[in-house]
Amino acid sequence: MNAAVVLAVAREAVRRDRRTPLTWGLPLGAMSALIVAIYPSIADSLTTIAENYPPALKEAFGFAEFNTVEAYLNAEMFSLIIPLALGYFMVRCVVHALPAAEERGELDIVLAAPVQRRELVAGAFAAAMVTSAAVLVVVLALMLLASVVVGAGLSVAHALAGVAEVWPLGVFFAGAAVLATGFMSRASSVTALAAGGLVAMYVLDLAGRLAEEVSGLRYISAFKYYGSALTEGIDPLAFVGLALAGCVLAGIGASAFERRDVRA
Amino acid sequence: MTGPVVQTRALTKRYGAHRGIDDISLEIRAGEVFGLLGPNGAGKTTLIRTLLDLLHPTSGSARILGLDSHADRRAIHARLGNLPGDFTVDRHLTGRDLLRHLAALRGMRDVGRAEPLAVRFRADLDRPIGTLSRGNRQKIGLIQALFHTPELLVLDEPTGGLDPLMQEQFLTLVAEERAAGRTVLLSSHDLDEVQRVCDRVGLIREGRLIAVETVDELLGRASRRVTVRLAGAVDAGALAALDGVSDVHADGDAATFRVTGDLDGVVKALAAHTVVDLEVVRPSLEEVFIGYYEDAPAP
Repeated sequence: MNAAVVLAVAREAVRRDRRTPLTWGLPLGAMSALIVAIYPSIADSLTTIAENYPPALKEAFGFAEFNTVEAYLNAEMFSLIIPLALGYFMVRCVVHALPAAEERGELDIVLAAPVQRRELVAGAFAAAMVTSAAVLVVVLALMLLASVVVGAGLSVAHALAGVAEVWPLGVFFAGAAVLATGFMSRASSVTALAAGGLVAMYVLDLAGRLAEEVSGLRYISAFKYYGSALTEGIDPLAFVGLALAGCVLAGIGASAFERRDVRA
Repeated sequence: MTGPVVQTRALTKRYGAHRGIDDISLEIRAGEVFGLLGPNGAGKTTLIRTLLDLLHPTSGSARILGLDSHADRRAIHARLGNLPGDFTVDRHLTGRDLLRHLAALRGMRDVGRAEPLAVRFRADLDRPIGTLSRGNRQKIGLIQALFHTPELLVLDEPTGGLDPLMQEQFLTLVAEERAAGRTVLLSSHDLDEVQRVCDRVGLIREGRLIAVETVDELLGRASRRVTVRLAGAVDAGALAALDGVSDVHADGDAATFRVTGDLDGVVKALAAHTVVDLEVVRPSLEEVFIGYYEDAPAP
């Protein structure tokens, strides 16, 4: 593996996607900022509402009570919207750089240069990780800005942990997209498989939280290892494990991509 | 290098039940311009993409620059330049962005001879490629194939979209590459282009290489259509009796006929008359292929 080639591929992919931290980060950040901004004015009534929620629902959305802005933000944004959005975003990054570029015929030029396919995959994967981190930085910045403006008291450390925890989950699904790319050349098929896996794993985890009988199925869902870092801090083992699992999936996908035809 | 620059042995690529290329054995010598000639869908692009290891062969092998086309892919690609048949890149990139990116992938500090090539082809390197016309995009494609001065140039339908002036410039450039000792593999369905620039030609039909010949041999096999008008009546029988003449149609002072081989006998026979008009039409690609189909068994 030639690091300079991987870096060149990643740099080009990041340059091409340079606007996406804003196009994805701003809407997600604005929604999160809104949640933070309204929290002080509804905090009292939220406590009463939370007390009346069924225990299973509280478990499903990862909150016990809305007594902090972090708990409210976690329930509203970081238990569903942001992880699903970022997971899809990373699938999209990989699909755009690999199978969609293949469908458009753009890979013929790159792969006629002294570039190994695994270097192309590594560069695209690395670019997805960098771009998604930039999306999360925009989200974090807007949340903290809103907290300062309205005096919501959002902890910087907790906010950072909450945002950071989403990233390895995204890496996992980027890896899933690379894995699918190793066996499929159609962008729509890769997107359907990886994004379908994202939604299926979420549903599986949710079902496991709601029903004891199927709770064992949670172990095959990446969301089992995605916690509530906004309120509880990051689980380092889950963080590293998810990121590593994504890298392993990407490695298998890269190996398969080496062996298949590049379609014109 | 002394051995063949491109060497394939029974190279075959099938897409499931569909034909790609079949049992192609071919050698391209160092310093020659080799043309792959065939109609659309004959397998030219499949052969090129298999040589570039974008497609993996079903069977057979290929060696490029003395190296295995799969195992030594990186070393080979460092020494070749490629223009795909459908040159497509990110439409938001400018030509200069593209060249810088490709230079980085090749470990080059600059964009080599891209600037003089851009001047020569009158290419605009500073506009997004997506805003360029097909011909101007093709110029960028040619520059990216050539900017690093590769030992082997692989060009799939390189003049598509170029205006006649730029086609001329391209053919001159290919001749210069040959003079500098570099090897060119060029696919085309334009017989005129191949005739002007190639040393040898491989004819591909339905995925199979049916012949490899010099351009002179190729044209010698194909019949040209001659139309002549004389000051007096044409003797059709005398024309038909000439070597290589066939399909004679005479009508008063005019005649059309086909000539295979050189025109010497025809010219000398016509010289005995007052020739008012004479037109010799070179064979089309289809006619060249028909000449082969008549001689060669179907694959």
